[in-house]
Amino acid sequence: MSKTNTISNLALQRLRYNKSRTLLTGIAILLTTMLLMAIGTVSVGIFNLNRQMASFTDYHAVFRDITPAQSAILRSHIQVEALTTAEVFADIENGKMNGALAYQEIVRDDRHTDEEGASPTLQVESGHYPEAEDEICSSPAFFRRVGAEPVIGGKATLSFRVDGKGKIQTKEFTISGLFPDEEVAEGLDDSRIMWSAQVSKVLLSQYEEAGLYQPKLSANLRVYGEDELTYDEMKERINAVAADIGLPEENVNLNTEYLRIMTDPGTETMMIAGVICLVVILFSALVIYSIYYVGVITDIQEIGKLKALGASRRQIAGMFYLQGAIVSAFSIPAGLLIGFLLPYFLFPLVLYATSTTALTLSYREAIDALNLHMFSLPVLFAVAAAVLITVCLSLQKPIRMAKRVSPVEAIRYQESTTDKKSRKGHHTVKVSTLTFANLTRNKRRTAVTILTMGLSCVLFICVSAVLSSVSAKDLARWNIAEGDFRISLDYSRNDKEYPENNLDSLVQKNYFNEAFLAQLSAIEGVKKIQPAHGIILSSSDTDYALYQNFDGEPIRSDLSYFTREDIPELNEYLIQGSIDYDRMTANREVLCTYEYSFTQNGLSIGDVLTLTLHDGDREIPFQTTLTALTQPETDFSILVMTEETWNELGLAYDPTTDIYLYVEDAQYDSVKEALKEIVSGNEHFTLYSMDEEMRISRASIALTIYPAYLLLALIAVIGFISLINTMITSIVTRKKELGILQAIGLSDRQLVNMLSGEGLVFTAGTLLISLTLGNLAGWLFYKWAKQAHFMGISRYHYPLWESIGLALVLLGGQLLITRFISRTMKKESLIERIRNQE
Amino acid sequence: MNNQTDIILQTETLCKYYGSGDNLVKAVDHINLQIRQGEFVSIVGKSGSGKSTLLHMLGALDNPTSGKVFLDGENIASLKADALSTIRRRKIGFIFQSFNLIPALNIWENIVLPLGLDGKPLDEAFIEDIIATLGLAEKKRSLPNTLSGGQQQRCAIARAIAAKPSIILADEPTGNLDTKTGDEVMALLKTSAKKYGQTLVVITHNEEIAQMADRTIMLADGRIVSDGIPSVKNRETGEVTAHEQD
Repeated sequence: MSKTNTISNLALQRLRYNKSRTLLTGIAILLTTMLLMAIGTVSVGIFNLNRQMASFTDYHAVFRDITPAQSAILRSHIQVEALTTAEVFADIENGKMNGALAYQEIVRDDRHTDEEGASPTLQVESGHYPEAEDEICSSPAFFRRVGAEPVIGGKATLSFRVDGKGKIQTKEFTISGLFPDEEVAEGLDDSRIMWSAQVSKVLLSQYEEAGLYQPKLSANLRVYGEDELTYDEMKERINAVAADIGLPEENVNLNTEYLRIMTDPGTETMMIAGVICLVVILFSALVIYSIYYVGVITDIQEIGKLKALGASRRQIAGMFYLQGAIVSAFSIPAGLLIGFLLPYFLFPLVLYATSTTALTLSYREAIDALNLHMFSLPVLFAVAAAVLITVCLSLQKPIRMAKRVSPVEAIRYQESTTDKKSRKGHHTVKVSTLTFANLTRNKRRTAVTILTMGLSCVLFICVSAVLSSVSAKDLARWNIAEGDFRISLDYSRNDKEYPENNLDSLVQKNYFNEAFLAQLSAIEGVKKIQPAHGIILSSSDTDYALYQNFDGEPIRSDLSYFTREDIPELNEYLIQGSIDYDRMTANREVLCTYEYSFTQNGLSIGDVLTLTLHDGDREIPFQTTLTALTQPETDFSILVMTEETWNELGLAYDPTTDIYLYVEDAQYDSVKEALKEIVSGNEHFTLYSMDEEMRISRASIALTIYPAYLLLALIAVIGFISLINTMITSIVTRKKELGILQAIGLSDRQLVNMLSGEGLVFTAGTLLISLTLGNLAGWLFYKWAKQAHFMGISRYHYPLWESIGLALVLLGGQLLITRFISRTMKKESLIERIRNQE
Repeated sequence: MNNQTDIILQTETLCKYYGSGDNLVKAVDHINLQIRQGEFVSIVGKSGSGKSTLLHMLGALDNPTSGKVFLDGENIASLKADALSTIRRRKIGFIFQSFNLIPALNIWENIVLPLGLDGKPLDEAFIEDIIATLGLAEKKRSLPNTLSGGQQQRCAIARAIAAKPSIILADEPTGNLDTKTGDEVMALLKTSAKKYGQTLVVITHNEEIAQMADRTIMLADGRIVSDGIPSVKNRETGEVTAHEQD
């Protein structure tokens, strides 16, 4: 037999002999591969999804508020590749329905020109795009909503306000075309859905000529160079085009997501995936390393014997590498396969699950229409290579140790590894003495084990801290700050045609009066009613941009207050200036809570604002100084004063704009019905209900949270393997010693107690590390996630259940494994165990 | 027979078989044996003659295939695992060829271990006395792997004696020691057993040890071939034999 054959044969025999260790290594490698492959596959999937989703809106930028003249320049601009203009002609007035009449036109599309060089026209599913003055097209759902029969040639009578102002007009339209139908998610309140219908250019022109309509277009624009230019170059080119038509930069909205995906393929996805992969690799390397490390310690005698028989250092190393390679040869392909198939089937399911709760069918249709590509050969090779390298790296240290084993030492080797010659010891020896003596005998192994398990748990706690902070409820709380329902007053600020809709008029009606509140209280199941959000309109005669619209006309803006309890949050997000409640009260100062508005309107700290507050029909002059800029998570008006300043205003009318209702869980549905009924009686009320908000929030977080929990579960499994490995090796390697202990009178129960005691120390150490380091890391991770606005995280939720679960699994798992192994061990007679290794 | 007061250990048609059919190995085959309180018995025989198997069954380490083992009049062959471990730590002291000390514990702890497992209070004077007798006074805190073979075996002897067992069973106690050390250890073992009134059963290949015994039992193929006072070495075969006792 050749030398190589001997070594490979030996490697193979050792794998067979150490079955449980081989199996554990195999599982660890398999899981690592699977995890990496799954991450890779999902990343490819997300990248592909983003690309496909982005192609639904393939424009580079939106130019807001351009004139027909500017549009005409764009039409012939040399760098413009495609141009679609849209103008919102009128707001639909139909009860609580949110809707608009619009006109859209493909001005130019060089990509899809026909033989004569003409741009394509907008397509409908049936019929044609509105041409005549009374023609309209939309989805059948729209027509059903407005009470019309969705058939071509059918009639629909609509009330609307041109430009959202002016008199309400009513007109009978003829349905000229139908878009694909939309299925509106059931049970959602009207106010959460945005409807639209398309009308003809002729209609718009009529109103324009009559001086009733001033067209303000928004242009969806594509410029040339998508395939060649970088993101920044594209941005520069777009801004240059805007400058050419004299459009200020703030009127340019870049389609950042699309541009990034097209110019910079998947950098973000790749970076996130890369970081996760790195963590997984580091972590798996630690686990695989610890399995091999413990293996070498166990096999020191055997390695010594091999050396005594003439095995060279190279051959020993070769044997270890070969063992790693053989196990990898089975585990990696299996891992690759599972790692690909799992997301291949699960990812679309997750997408679909999120889409079914989404607002309309269109998103779901988009998902259905997708042809997701998730397989990537480079990813496959990269994962395989990464795992092989991980295995190699994990083998380095154990191999170095094995190489250093001297034959003489090794054959005599009794595991002690401490250089200590003596031990203080205890006067009497109890089972617990044995337990601790065993743990301290090889402090390094104990430490490596606790550290490996600890780190996996740290990772677990850390990720779950963030995941448990991703809360649908917190997201929902953006719209319903407290309680179960919110009745919100829908108000305008600057409606000239219908001033009765403005807040200062509405407060005079005192909708939230005693009688109304009593009516709400009378609903069975309502526990508490909490009026909130005092808001008052403010205006200014000075030329502050904040109090002017684009045309320089004066407008009014909300003004509100904050309480002492809000100070910590306001301070946390402080950007400029300082917040001192008492000083602010004394000087009647205000602060700005919205950075965008602050910069856009050219505000600065120290500005003195001369304002008029509109308390119903009263006008209160209010001079104030702007002393701070902050951007808190909680929703405030742009400018806020202190609560005391607010109270000193002595408002004549109740400024309540919102009412929160707390209800009994059991009567939630009946209360909702009753509220719907009440709210439908007042066109100024909008009802927000927690169940709807939760549905919307859940849908938006599901896509991230499920795969993350899957990842978490896999981390836990790998960590658990490390635990099993430790327990098995620590027991199996001491088989003889345990046998002797039993020979001199250690009973089975005492044995199990001793081993469980050892396991408990591991568990306690692990828990200590994971609950200290893990919580710290989790908190930092959470801070980062909050800063990065990841999944709308706004509040820290301690991962209590995850921590308890972890402790239980560690404790239970460890006890079970101990019992299982000592039972298996008993199959061998005491004599066999004592003779073992002799 | 087993109600004779000075019989401490007795077997009745004790058998231990391994395998079956053609592969049946009769390691111990119908052995009837009586050992008296305070007796020093050596068991001799070739490798594979069943010495160790017999000793293990005498020491409640292994279950017989059939037959009985009476220790202090109680048939231990019928006891359960927990009861057996109690018997082992209270009535039997073991000494192994390869010392088998617990590496994580120091010498003192190794010696008092069986007492600790039994939850018995320490008779400290007694332990100190054993330690002094065996010359380990300086080594109480040392870890086993820092001691010489002879010292380790002396520690094993101390451990076997510490719980004041009725019987000490030793399986080739000098097998891993050089002749001089072996003789010393054996002398100490014999002295200690006598001093503390313990019955001593020793498996050995060493003729000198066999000759130190009150009685020598010789096994071959799992059966007793001779049982009696030790004879001088058979000059022709070099084997130690035993004179038949009546």
